[in-house]
This record gives sequence, C-alpha cells and structure tokens, in this order.
Amino acid sequence: MYRLALNMLFGDRAKLAMLLCGLAFSALLMAQQSSVFFGIMSWTYTPMVNIRAQVWVSDPMVEQVNDAKPLRDTDLGRVRSVDGVAWAAPLHTSFVQARMQDGNFKLITLVGIDADTFAGAPAVLSQGRIEDLRLPDTVIVDEWGAALMGRMGVGPDGKPKNTPLQVGDTFEINDIQARIVGICRVKRAFTGGPFVYTTYDRAKGYTLGARRTLSFMLVEPQKGVAPAELCDRIERDTGLKAWTSDTVIWSWGERSLARNTFWWFWTNTGIPFSFGTAVLLGLFVGIAISGQTFYSFVLENLKYFAAIKAMGAGMGVIARMLFVQAFTAGLIGFGLGAGMAQAIGRVMIEKGMPPFVMYPQILWATFALVLGISFVSAVIGIIKVSRVDAASVFRG
Amino acid sequence: MSHLAHTVAVRATGVDMFFGTPENRVVALKQAEFEARRGELIMLVGPSGCGKTTLLSVIAGTLTPQAGTVEVFGQRLDGLGQEALTAFRRRNLGFVFQSFNLIPTLTVVENVMVPLLIQGRSFGEARASALAILDKVGLKGREDGRPNALSGGQQQRGAIARALVHEPPLLICDEPTSALDKDTGGHIMQLVRDLSRSPERCVVVVTHDHRIFRFADRIAEMEDGRISRVVDDPKLLDTTHL
Repeated sequence: MYRLALNMLFGDRAKLAMLLCGLAFSALLMAQQSSVFFGIMSWTYTPMVNIRAQVWVSDPMVEQVNDAKPLRDTDLGRVRSVDGVAWAAPLHTSFVQARMQDGNFKLITLVGIDADTFAGAPAVLSQGRIEDLRLPDTVIVDEWGAALMGRMGVGPDGKPKNTPLQVGDTFEINDIQARIVGICRVKRAFTGGPFVYTTYDRAKGYTLGARRTLSFMLVEPQKGVAPAELCDRIERDTGLKAWTSDTVIWSWGERSLARNTFWWFWTNTGIPFSFGTAVLLGLFVGIAISGQTFYSFVLENLKYFAAIKAMGAGMGVIARMLFVQAFTAGLIGFGLGAGMAQAIGRVMIEKGMPPFVMYPQILWATFALVLGISFVSAVIGIIKVSRVDAASVFRG
Repeated sequence: MSHLAHTVAVRATGVDMFFGTPENRVVALKQAEFEARRGELIMLVGPSGCGKTTLLSVIAGTLTPQAGTVEVFGQRLDGLGQEALTAFRRRNLGFVFQSFNLIPTLTVVENVMVPLLIQGRSFGEARASALAILDKVGLKGREDGRPNALSGGQQQRGAIARALVHEPPLLICDEPTSALDKDTGGHIMQLVRDLSRSPERCVVVVTHDHRIFRFADRIAEMEDGRISRVVDDPKLLDTTHL
C-alpha cells in the first residue's frame, strides 16, 4: 500500500508542488537563518582562531575574549614559573583608531605579539614576511582590512586609491606611523575592525597612555601535559584565569574561552532572539503551508480513503499511508530547502558577507523540524480520515 | 439452479437502525428482514429514503444496527468489533460504487490492486492478478492509463475488476448504472452477472434503474425501512414510484 500511497502523492503534481514549496521554504528559512546566526556568532571568538595558542591566561574577571582586562607585566614571570609551562608569551589586544591618508579614521583590532617567538602570529601571509615585523614602525594587516582601508588610501597623485593596501603603504595609529610589511589571511571579527599585527613592545607605543598593556598570555604546555591540566595548575599557582583554545562551541568544556565568548554573546545580546524569531517564523510558515496543503490533499482524497476503509483497510494502514506521504514530502522538501540554503551559503562564503556556518547539527535540527512539520500534517490528515464513516461511500 | 443456490448467503433479521438523538430520531430501518441466496443476483429497489443504502451498509458491515442480527456467509456481523468488521470486509466483500471511486492519481491497474494490497499481497502478485481480471472485463491495454482517460462504462468496468479481483463471496453494488447510459448500463450488468455466477458468490445490487431489473434473479422492494415484498419477475413490480 505504501507504494500506492506514494503514487497517490506524486500523481497530484500541483498539490505536491505546493506541499514541497512550503516545506522547502521552511527548511531554507530555518537552515539559512541558523547558519547566518552561527556565522555571526563564530565571529565573536575570532581572536581565538586568528591568534593560535594552546592555553590563554587572563585576568580572573575576564568573561570573553573581546573584553580583556589588562594584567601586570610581572604576571608573565609568574606564569612561566608554573610547572608544566614550556613557554609563555605576552599578547596585547585592543581596539584603536587608525588614521588613513585621506584623513578618515578606522577602528582596528591591534594585536601585539612577542617579537622573539612570534607566538600568536597569523598562520597565513599572502604578502611579506613575519620577520619584517622586527623592523621599525611595521605592521601586518589582514586582507579584508587591506581592502577596506585601501578605499580610504590616497595615491601619489593625491586621489583616492580604491585599491587594497600593499606592502610599503602607510597609515597612522595614535599619530605614530605604521608601515605595512605583510598582508595576512585571517578570519573576520564580530567588531568589524581589521586585524593589525605588530610586536608587543610596539603595541605599547601605539597605545600611549595605557598603564597596563598585557591583555593575555599565550602559553604552550610542556610535552605530555594536557592543556586543561595546565590550566588548573596556572589557576592554582597564580590566581589568574586560564583557558583552553578549544573552539568547538558544542562542547561542555568550561575552560574554552571561545565557548564562553559564544555564550556570553548569546546571553547578553539580542542576536539569538532576532534569529530565533526568524527560525520560528520558518517553522510556523512551514506548518501553516504544509499542514494546510496536506490537509487539502487529504480532503480531496477523502472519499477514496473512505472507499479504502470500506474495502477493509484499517486505520493503522491508512495512518501509515499518510505518514509515508507526509514524510516523503518532508524528505524532498528538506532536500530542496537545505540544498538552496547551501547554494545561498556558497555565494555568501564567496562574498564573505554575511557570515555563514552550516554545522551538521543545523542540518540535523532542520531535518528534525521538517519531519516534525510533516508529522503534524499527517496527524491532521489522520484525524480527518479517522472521522470519516466507511458507510459514507454509499452516499454518492 | 443447483441446490446450493437455495442456501442462504445473507440474512438480516429484525434489523433496527436509526440516526440522530433519541429526541430527534430518524428511523432508517424498522424490523427489516432480508435474505439473499448463494449464486443469485438480488436487487434492492424502492423510493429514495426507504432505507436501501442503510440496509446495504448494514449487510456490508460498515454500519452496526441498533437491533437485529446480520449473518453473511455464516458469519454473524452483529456484535463484531470495528477491527473484526474491517477484517471481515477485507476478506469477504467487493464493492462497486455509484461514482466508481477509482482513485484518479493512480493508474487503472493500481486501482484494481488496492483490495489485494490491503490483504497484504505483494505488489508483483497483486499486479499480475489485477492484469488478469482487467483482461476479463475488457480493459486490456488501458491498465496503465489514468481512470479519467476512460469512458464512464470503462471506469465502471475498472471498478468491477477492483471489486472482484480478490474473489470475494459477496459483491455489493450501489447504483452501479446510474451514471451510465442504457446500453452501457446493460453491458455492465451483464458483466456483473457473468462474473458473479458462482454458487459461492452472491451479488446485492441497490438500484433505481428499472432498465436493469431484467438482470436480477430476485428483486426485493423496500418501503419505510423494511422489505415490503420480494418478486422473481420484474414485471410484477410497480416501477412508477421508483
């Protein structure tokens, strides 16, 4: 009977198209909005991705990576003395204004890394060499920032450049020249400012007036020491807060600074509510369109279901037929919707805006919700058919 | 007729059936008595509202009477639960409906397969049986078309094929010719009669169509919720009120 149930479904192409449209649109809305949401949320802990270290140490009051509370420089020595620490390097992060050649200002994320070890340096340089950061007044700018700030640049002829900044171009941070010696490829941040790397000591110079400039310490455990275990030791011996660099936000590890940052934004901003509303809207639209269309499909076939009942099919068989029809439509609708979300996501990823991260969990959740919509639709149909009297087939 | 033809296939005794609330009761059957024999084609006739369809539904096990007994091929239907009635219909009944009730989104052969698939037969087995009976009713070559591509007569042939494909002992026909012209109706009734001529089968036809009375072995006339008389010869009926 299930094959016939499917043939009944596919035989009414207009209804099927309407049903699939509802389910696909719903799946698209839920998957796409969730992916953009997680894309934006993944930007919140971008420093954890761009500045690589196994263990981060911060002031005990720090809640998330974008909110550094400066440490004393002497804390570095205390951390280095903890058993199990292979090395520890200073890290400065701050938001400062960069002044472009045309006089415009741009908020940047200034990252000061240790000039000896280059711990926390960007992984990929598309232009230049990391060692050149040891030269006076030098910085490395990320590709997106180079393009953004390039639009503010002025060429030798005094006209806007409209081309990305290159190695050799300059701008100013707190009236101090910053000369570009490299272009790096890093992930964009939630704050929107470009990442500008320099040495830790030079970063102190760029942030004149700041009494403390040590934002974090990047720590490498000795061989055989697990990062989480080292975090415990650092906290016990120094009273500072130590974090692992784990960026899997689904994990329950309390030591992950990325995860803490993610949940800080989740609970302290309206972003989840805004996107959650869109996802719920997708769910309700799906239930409304699909439920209504499936109900009308059942209504149109009601006399045939009554005939099938009269011929000796129990409600169990008919219910299973309706479930097969609804879940098949749900499966196809999910495929279409998720496929469209992927295609849109591909375009978004190529353009870089808006951020798009489609975790497998998003697809599974969307799949479950679409099947939920199908289930509700089928149940509505089953209730209708169950109320039909088999004897009604004799009434014309 | 053989001696088997005189054994009872369907017997309804003292059947009461009413609808609505006790205060606002509509009586459909009142102490109705009905008997159909094995191997015969019996017609139920009477004016609209006399209870023909209700009696047919009671015999078919789609309605349970408030009083009386119903026995079909030795099986008492009164007292059976819904599940048992459903199983009974699945095994023992074939239906031909006034409006054919062929599912328009399925092909003709798929429609005919439905009773066999309900019984749990495999798709291949059901298709083979359906094709064989479609051949018998003269629809060979039309099996993979949709019902709406067939004429009214052809659709009713398809419906007959569906009713008989699982070889049920009791064939229930509700106004099988009302949507057909005289010639087509005649051909359909001839087909029903030919295919149902077996001592192990009984055909009950509800009809208003006096043009097909000649196909009946007996005709039971209903009036006010009960059988008023049963005749062997349609000429004995007064058809002016039908």
